[in-house]
Amino acid sequence: MEVRFKLNGKEEEVTTEPYLRLIDLLRDYFNLTGTKEGCGVGECGACTVLMNGRAVNSCLVLAAQANDSEIVTIEGIAEGEVLSSLQKNFLTYGAVQCGFCTPGMVLSASALLDQNPNPTEEEIKDAIAGNLCRCTGYKQIIEAVKETAKETIE
Amino acid sequence: MNEEFSVVGKKIIREDGFDKVTGQAKFGDDYKFDGMLHSVMLRISEAHAKINSIDFSAIEKSEFLFSIITSADIPGTKKVGMIKNDQLVFCDEKVVTPGDVLAMLVGESESQLRSLLSKIKVDYTPLPVLNDPKKSLDKDSILIHPETGTNLIVHHPLRKGDIEKGFSESDEILEQTYTTQLVEHSYIEPEAVIAIPLGTSQGVKIIGSIQNPFTTRRFVANVLNLPLTKVRVHQAHLGGSFGGKDDTMCILSARAAVAAMKTNRPVKIRYTREESILESYKRHPYILNYKVGYAKNGKIKAMKVDILADGGAYVSMSPFVTWRTVVQATGPYEIENVHTDVRAVYTNNPYTGAMRGFGSPQPIFAQESLMDEIAARLRMTPDEIRRVNGLKVGSVTATGQILKDHEVNLVRVLDVACGNTDFITKWKRNKKKKSIAVELNSLSPILNDSQFIKQNDLIKKGIGLAVSFRGCSLGAEGTDAAAAYISIQNDGSVYLDCGLAENGQGLRTTYSIIASEVLGITTDKIIYLELDTGITPDSGPTVASRSTLMGGGAVKNAAEILLERLEKFVKAEFKLGEDDFVSFRENLVFSRRKGLIAKFPEVCKLAYSRGVSLASIGWYKSPNVYWDEEFGQGDAYFTYVYGCQVAEVSVNIATGEVYIDKITAVHDPGKVINRLGAEGQVYGGVTQGAGYGIFEEITTDKGFIRELNFDTYTIPTSKDIDEIKPIFIEGKDSYGPWGAKSLGEPTLELTAAAISNAVCNALGKRFFNLPLNLEEVLLSKKLRPADIKRGSLL
Amino acid sequence: MMPPLGILFPKDLNEALNALALNQENVHIIAGGTDVIPGLNQESNRFKNTRLLIDINKMPEVKGINVGTEKISIGAAETFSDILQNEVVQKKLPLLWKSAGTIGSVQIRNRATLAGNFVNNAPCADSVPVLLVYNATVEIESLSSKREIFLNDFLSAPYKTKLNKDEIVTRINIPIPSKKFTGDFYKLGRRRAVAISRITLAMLISLNDNMIDEIRIASGAVTPIGTRFFDLEKFAKGKKIEDQFLKELSKMLGEQIIQVTGLRWSSEYKLPVVQQMFYQLLKGIERGSL
Repeated sequence: MEVRFKLNGKEEEVTTEPYLRLIDLLRDYFNLTGTKEGCGVGECGACTVLMNGRAVNSCLVLAAQANDSEIVTIEGIAEGEVLSSLQKNFLTYGAVQCGFCTPGMVLSASALLDQNPNPTEEEIKDAIAGNLCRCTGYKQIIEAVKETAKETIE
Repeated sequence: MNEEFSVVGKKIIREDGFDKVTGQAKFGDDYKFDGMLHSVMLRISEAHAKINSIDFSAIEKSEFLFSIITSADIPGTKKVGMIKNDQLVFCDEKVVTPGDVLAMLVGESESQLRSLLSKIKVDYTPLPVLNDPKKSLDKDSILIHPETGTNLIVHHPLRKGDIEKGFSESDEILEQTYTTQLVEHSYIEPEAVIAIPLGTSQGVKIIGSIQNPFTTRRFVANVLNLPLTKVRVHQAHLGGSFGGKDDTMCILSARAAVAAMKTNRPVKIRYTREESILESYKRHPYILNYKVGYAKNGKIKAMKVDILADGGAYVSMSPFVTWRTVVQATGPYEIENVHTDVRAVYTNNPYTGAMRGFGSPQPIFAQESLMDEIAARLRMTPDEIRRVNGLKVGSVTATGQILKDHEVNLVRVLDVACGNTDFITKWKRNKKKKSIAVELNSLSPILNDSQFIKQNDLIKKGIGLAVSFRGCSLGAEGTDAAAAYISIQNDGSVYLDCGLAENGQGLRTTYSIIASEVLGITTDKIIYLELDTGITPDSGPTVASRSTLMGGGAVKNAAEILLERLEKFVKAEFKLGEDDFVSFRENLVFSRRKGLIAKFPEVCKLAYSRGVSLASIGWYKSPNVYWDEEFGQGDAYFTYVYGCQVAEVSVNIATGEVYIDKITAVHDPGKVINRLGAEGQVYGGVTQGAGYGIFEEITTDKGFIRELNFDTYTIPTSKDIDEIKPIFIEGKDSYGPWGAKSLGEPTLELTAAAISNAVCNALGKRFFNLPLNLEEVLLSKKLRPADIKRGSLL
Repeated sequence: MMPPLGILFPKDLNEALNALALNQENVHIIAGGTDVIPGLNQESNRFKNTRLLIDINKMPEVKGINVGTEKISIGAAETFSDILQNEVVQKKLPLLWKSAGTIGSVQIRNRATLAGNFVNNAPCADSVPVLLVYNATVEIESLSSKREIFLNDFLSAPYKTKLNKDEIVTRINIPIPSKKFTGDFYKLGRRRAVAISRITLAMLISLNDNMIDEIRIASGAVTPIGTRFFDLEKFAKGKKIEDQFLKELSKMLGEQIIQVTGLRWSSEYKLPVVQQMFYQLLKGIERGSL
C-alpha cells in the first residue's frame, strides 16, 4: 500500500506491505539505520522516533500507520555537520558509551525539551524511563539534558 | 588534578561520539551487502535430548530456502569452546540446553525462513534433565558430556596455613550459606554478524558485534580449517557487551562463516532479544558455604570456603571465572588459615561464562555479609571489623602473595567512603530505630491486627558498605600482553590502533588521550582505526578490566618510541646542543634554549622527507605471575585495586521494595586517564550492580528461561537509582600508563553486597540470597510460577 | 516476524463496521497497537489467525475527550498521553489521571489507548481498577445495534470480553463523581518505572461525619481480571472509619481475593501486601488522598 509522510523534513511516498513495521521501513527501505531494534516489544526504546512531535517506539507502529504523519529520526536532528545543543551536551557530559541506546535517548529527550523546555530532574527521568541504557547508569545523560534546558532558558 | 598533564585526566569528548549521537555509527545489523542472505536457527523444545535424525524433506524444495547448513558442512572442528572444545556449532547429535541450535536455514528473507522451521521433522529421544548443580556430582546423575566422564568442569583448591588449628584458636565460629542468581548481561544490542566470502586465496571476512575479534578469528579458523590469516575479523560498533559477546559471537560467526563458504554469498545472522537471552551465556549462579573462626577482638583466624558454581551445559569460561573466585574468595582480608574449594559443574541449564565482575560479585556478597554479621556479633561497627582484618602493605593474601610494589589502599578507600557518607552516625542511628519487620505467617495469608503498619513506619532507612580487592588483568589465567600501532603522517595527523577491541566503554578515547599526551598533540589530530585482525597484532581479549592497563601501556610504548625518534631527529635537524631538551606540547615543538622551534606538522614533514620511520608498534607485557594449582598458592596478579561502596537505601516494609537513595563509590584506579569515561564506568557499573542486588534474575523451569525479554527481565531504568557519587583515590602504580590500573569491574562487584548490608541495617534482618527482590525482602524466599507459560502469549 | 496481513483505515465508524461485518473471523481492531503489533511480531497465539487489522485512528466517532456536566466521554482512540494532557481529567478524574501516568513509558503512553487497555483485558491492565470504581460504561456499536454497558459487565475473563465479533468499542463514559468523593490509586511493580503491575488498587470513598457513605473498591493483578468488590462495599457502608474497622476491611479484602483467585504461587507475597497497601490507602483518606 501507499504511504505518504514527511521524513526528517522531506516529503516521501513509498509503496509498502501493510504489515511492515515503521522501524523496518526506516532501516531497510530508507537505510536510516540510526533507529535501532533492541527488543521488538516496546520495552527498550532503542527504536524511538518522533511521530508528530511525540516519542514513539517504531517497533510498535506499522509503517501504514505513519501515513500523513511527520516522522523525525536521529538522522534528522543535526543540521548537516552541526549538532543540536542536546547532541553536543551528550558528548560534553559523557552521556554516550556504546551508543546503541543513544539515538532513542536523544529523541526522547528532544521530545521532552520541545514540550517542556524547563523540566525538573524527575521529569527528565520520566521522559527517558522508556529508554534502557546498560552502560551509563543514566547519570551523564540526565546531566546533558539538564544542561541543554539551562542553555535554552538562558 | 595533576597539572603536569595536558590531556590525561581531563574531560575529553569521545572520539566516536559524533557518529554515535547522529546515528551514523554502524553496528552489526546496520551492515548490508549485495546478495546477502539471512538465516534462522533450528531448535527443539528440549533441554536434554539425543537427536536421532533431522528430516528436511518437507522444506528442501521451498522457494524460500537457499541452503540448509548443518554440521556436515563444517570442514574443520565441529566442537568449539573458549577453554575446552565441548560446544557443538550445530548440535546434530545431542542438545544439552534449550538454546542449542541443530541446524540453520539461509535464504533471502528471515520471515519466510521462519515459516519453514515448523515443517522440519526432528526425531529425538529425550534424556533425563539435570538442573540442580548440587546433584551434578552425584554418582547416579546423568553425564552432560559423557566423554568427559564427569560433570565436574573444574575444581580450584586453595590451602594456606592449618585450618583446624585456626578454628581451634578461634573464640567463635560462624557458618553461613549464600546463593546468587543467574543474570543476563543485557547489552541493548542483540547479536548480529555477517560473514563475507573472499574467495579461495583470501578466505572469509567477518563483521559484527564482536567483543574479541582475535578469539572470534580463532574459532572461525578452526571451524573452517583455515589458517588464521584467512579469517579477517572486523569489529562493528559494539552495542554493549559486559563480557557477554565473546563465546556466543564466536559461535554465531562460525555458523555464518560456514554458510558463507557453502553458499558463496554474504550471510547475516541477527538475533531477536528472545533468541539472544535464550542462547547467550550468563553470569554463574553460586552456592557459597562459609565457615569462619574469629577472636573476640574481631581478628579472623580461619576461613573455610566451599563454593559451587553452575556452569550450565558448557565449560565456556568457568575455569577462569572460578579461578578469580578462589583467589578473592576470602575478601580483602589477611587470614592466616584458609581452606577454599571452588567447583564448577555441568547442568542442562543455560550455560554461564564471562560477565563484568567475573566470579567476584558472588563471593563479595557472601564475605561482606559475613563480615557485617561478625561485626554485629562482636558489637563492632562494619568499618571496625574491616580495619582489623583489612589488607595493608606487606600483608599476605590467601594465595600467599605478599602485597608490595603498589599502594594497598584498602583502609584508605574505607576511610574516605565512611567520612564522605557520615557512615558510622547513620549506621548507628538506623540500627537504633527499632525495626518493625513484619513476620509473615505463610499458613495464614490473612494479617492479624498487629501486623498492619503505621504510615510513619512504612519506610525504613538503611546504610551499608562493602569493600573489595581485585587483581588487575588476567593474572595467572594466561599470556598477558598487548600491542598498539601508531603511524604519524607527514602532515602531523596520526593513525592509532590497538589490538584490544572497543567494547563501548571508551578505550579508543583513552588510547587517543595517552598517545596525544606523549606526542604533545591534541586528540583531534588522531584518527583511530577500526580494529581489523588483519592489521593489528593479537593483544588478547578486552576482558578483566585490562584495557587501560595493558593496551594503554602498549599505546604509551608506541608513542614513546616515536617521540624518541622525533626528539633525536629534531636535535640533529635544528642543530640543538646535546644538552638541550626538546619538548612537544599542543602541536608545537620547543627547545629549552631556543623556545618554539617548529610546529608539529612541520617536524613530521621534515622527518618524513629525511626518511625517518614515523610508524611504530608498541608492546606491553605484564610482569610474570605464578600459580600452584595443587595448593592454590602464588602471586596471582601483579597488582591490585581496592574499592569501597556505601549504599543508602529506603525499604518499604509493607511491600519489600528497596529504593536506592545513594551509592557512594570510592575506587583507586591508579591514574585516571579518561575522566568522563572513568565516571561513566562508575555510574554504569554501580547501576548494573544495583540491578543484580535488587531485581535482576533469570529464572528457569527445567532449563527453560522464563524471562526472555525486557518486559519480564527488568534492568534498572533512569528512575531506579537516585544518586551515585564516584570518588577516585588516584595514586601511583609501577605498572600501566602513568600508573593507571583497573576500574570497569570493581565498580560493579561491590554494589549488591553494600545494598544487602544496607537493607539489613534498615530491617535488622540479614539476607543470604540474591536478589533482594520484593519476595526475598518480605518473606526471605523466592516465589516462582509453576511453569514458564505466559498469559499474554497463550 | 510480522505475519502477512492487511490493514484498513476507515474514515468513519460506518465504514469500519461494514468492514468488520465482512471479515469478522480474522480481524483485529487497533488504535495504538502497542499490544497487538508486538504480539503479532512474536507470533503470539492470541493473534494467530489475524489476517486484517482495522485502524480506528481516522474515525471522528472515536476521537476526543468530551467533558459534560455529568460525565466525561473518552474516545476509543484517545491515548494515555491525551488523557494526561487533559486538565479536566486531572481535576475531575484524578485516579484515572494518576493511573495513566503509571502506564508503560512515555513512548507507550503516546500510542496506547485507554480503550485498548481494557479491551485487551490483561489481568494487570493498570487503568481497569480505576475505571471500575468510577462506574465507567463502554459504548459499543455494530451495524445493527448500539449498546452501552458497565465496564464491570464488559470484562469477562483474562484477555476476554463480551465484545461481539461485529462490534467496536467507540467510547468510554465516566460519570464525574460528586465532590464528596475522595480516593486513590496504587500500583506496585518490580521497579519504579515501566513495570508490569504486581498489584493495583483503586478506591473511591465518600464520608459523612466519619461514616462511610459510599465506598468503591477494585483491584488488578491480584485477581484474574480487574475486579470490583461489591460485597465489601456494601458491608462498609455506614461504618465508621476507625482504625480497627479499616484493618477489618483490609483483611476482608484479602479473604475476598482468595475467594476470587484462589491461592496461587504468588499469593504468599501478594495477599499480605494487598491488605497492607489497601489499609494504607484507607488511612490516606484521613490525609485527604487525591
